[in-house]
Order: sequence, then C-alpha cells, then structure tokens
Amino acid sequence: MTLLIGFLIGCAFGAILFLGGATSYRRIMGTLLLKDMWIIKLMATAIGVGSLGVYLLDFANLANMSIKPAYVGGVALGGIIFGIGWAVSGYCPGTCVVGASEGKKDAMFVILGALLGTFVFSLAYPAIEASILAPMDLGKITLESVTGISGLYLAIPFSAMLLFLAFFVLKDRYE
Amino acid sequence: MQDGAIISWKAAGISLGLLLTLATYLVSPLGVSTQFVVSEAAVAHKVAPAFAEKNTYLAKYGEKENWGVGYGWMLVFGMFVGGGVCAQLLRSRQPEADKGSMPAMWAAKFGESRAKRYAAAFAGGALLLFGARLAGGCTSGHMISGISQLAISSFIFGVCTFGAGIVMAKILYRNKAGA
Repeated sequence: MTLLIGFLIGCAFGAILFLGGATSYRRIMGTLLLKDMWIIKLMATAIGVGSLGVYLLDFANLANMSIKPAYVGGVALGGIIFGIGWAVSGYCPGTCVVGASEGKKDAMFVILGALLGTFVFSLAYPAIEASILAPMDLGKITLESVTGISGLYLAIPFSAMLLFLAFFVLKDRYE
Repeated sequence: MQDGAIISWKAAGISLGLLLTLATYLVSPLGVSTQFVVSEAAVAHKVAPAFAEKNTYLAKYGEKENWGVGYGWMLVFGMFVGGGVCAQLLRSRQPEADKGSMPAMWAAKFGESRAKRYAAAFAGGALLLFGARLAGGCTSGHMISGISQLAISSFIFGVCTFGAGIVMAKILYRNKAGA
C-alpha cells in the first residue's frame, strides 16, 4: 500500500514539475541569472503552503517529519558542488527524471552523470566520513528546536513572508 | 517577458505545497536523490555483493525489503510515469522554447554541438549527485521538504546551492547574460 501511495504521489509530483515548466532550461538558467522569477516564485509558494501544511499536521500530531541532520561542513560543501552542477546542467535530480520522461536527451545524460556521481560518492564515502561528515554535526535541529517556539507559530509568519514575496515582490527583470 | 507554462507558477506552487503536506501526512516528505543510491545499491548487491557489503555507503541501502525499493523509489518511478504521461498528452500546449533536447539559450552561447551540450549535462549531473549525497538531499528533499520543515541543515543547503549556482551561471553566461 505504501508503495502505491509513493507511486501516485510521484505521478502527481512529476506532472506538476512538467506542467509548471520546472524542466525548462531557460527558466532554470533565468533563475540563476536572477532574471526569470518563475521558478523562485513556484518554490516560494510551494514552501509557503508546505511549511504551513506540515506544521498544521505537526500541531495535530499527524506529521511524519523527516529532518535532515545539520553536519554543517558536508551540507555546505555539498550544497556548493550541487549548485555548480545545477548551473552546468540546467537540471536538478528531480527535474532530470521528468525531463527524461519528456524525451529530452540532455536530461538523460544528466541522469547518467548522476549515476556516476553517486557511484563516485559511494567510493569516496569511507574516506570522507570521518573528516567531512562527522565534525560539526549539530544533529536534526530545526528553527523550532533552536528557538524553543512552537513550529506552527514560526511557520505562520514564515509562510506569509514567502507567499508575500512570491505574489507581490518578485518580478522578472527582462529589459 | 517569456511565455508561461501549461499551468501557472501559482497553480504549480500551491499544488506542490499541498502534495508535500499530503505526503508528510500519509508516509513521509518528498525526496529524490537518495533513490539514485538505492538504485545503484540494488544493482551492486546483485552484481557484486562482496563489494556492496564492504562499501560502508552502499551497505546502508538495498537488500532489505525488495532490494530497498520502497516508498521513495516508487515516488521517483512515479515522477517518470506522471511526467511522461502528461508530456504525451499535453505536449502541444508546452511552450515551443521548452521543447527538445537543445535549449536555444545554450545554443546561442555555446553553439549547436550536441556533444558539447550532452557532455555538460553529464558532468553537471555527476556534480549534482555527488553534492546531493554529500549534503544529504537535493532540491526536493532539502529545499522544498526540508525548508518547509524549518530544518536548519536545509536552510544552509539552500543558501549554498543558490549562491554557488548564481555565481556559476554568471560565469557561464558572462558576456551576454540572459537573452
């Protein structure tokens, strides 16, 4: 049953990414060149709705949260490498799957590269585990656990801020 | 101004936020990049079991319950099916500029060579997943799901990713940025 739920949620996720133009190279690059705000507005809206939804569930004790640990060095370095790969390929790990399903060959090459990157990481893992991943590990912390304020009361203003940004502040900057 | 997409960013963003909420209620939040490891671990456990057992990373994934194919893997498989079906049905409504394997913006800057585009895609893909595995997630798991859960690690990931992505994009498209 969980497998079927996963499949159906995935179908909806893939459909939203395709329909919303998230597999578009010009939009991704336009985002990173700070000219096209479409993707940023899409993400800010998703996080605005999502943070409110998740913390409403949490408030009612219905959320299956999955907080990633903050091992600061690995997360920061990984984020930087990821960002470079994002700009070079024009895709991210989710959109390359959807792009490939549309028949985009460049997206298929991203997947092949991604499999190589995963493999190289698994080879490097024993060597970097102690030096990069273990130090500066602050554990599974959130704004809630750091501030001591109930998550819902943080999520409400956070969500309002993101939705305000997406709907009223961010504007495309094409000359 | 650019033409839109089949649905607006508002519709896509709101439905993605609701989908994340639903997923968090039913099973767990959205994520993609872990499944690249799961797929490889599943193959490795079949093809080279001794190597897979010895590798401390691959050994963590796969084997258990159907070679590790669970909720997360089915989710990514679903993305391929859902995206593919929508693309087949609605391709005619996709903006012309978003079709095909050779983005016009890339061709205008780096030429029409397909080998060059695919090489960049391959290299970029390798960096994406090396970085994502190092950081423990990607755009969906860290940024969308993680920031929605107000996780500190995901805020760090978001800042570093956008920072590096913006710098790299500016370097790639330095002389005539945009189009």
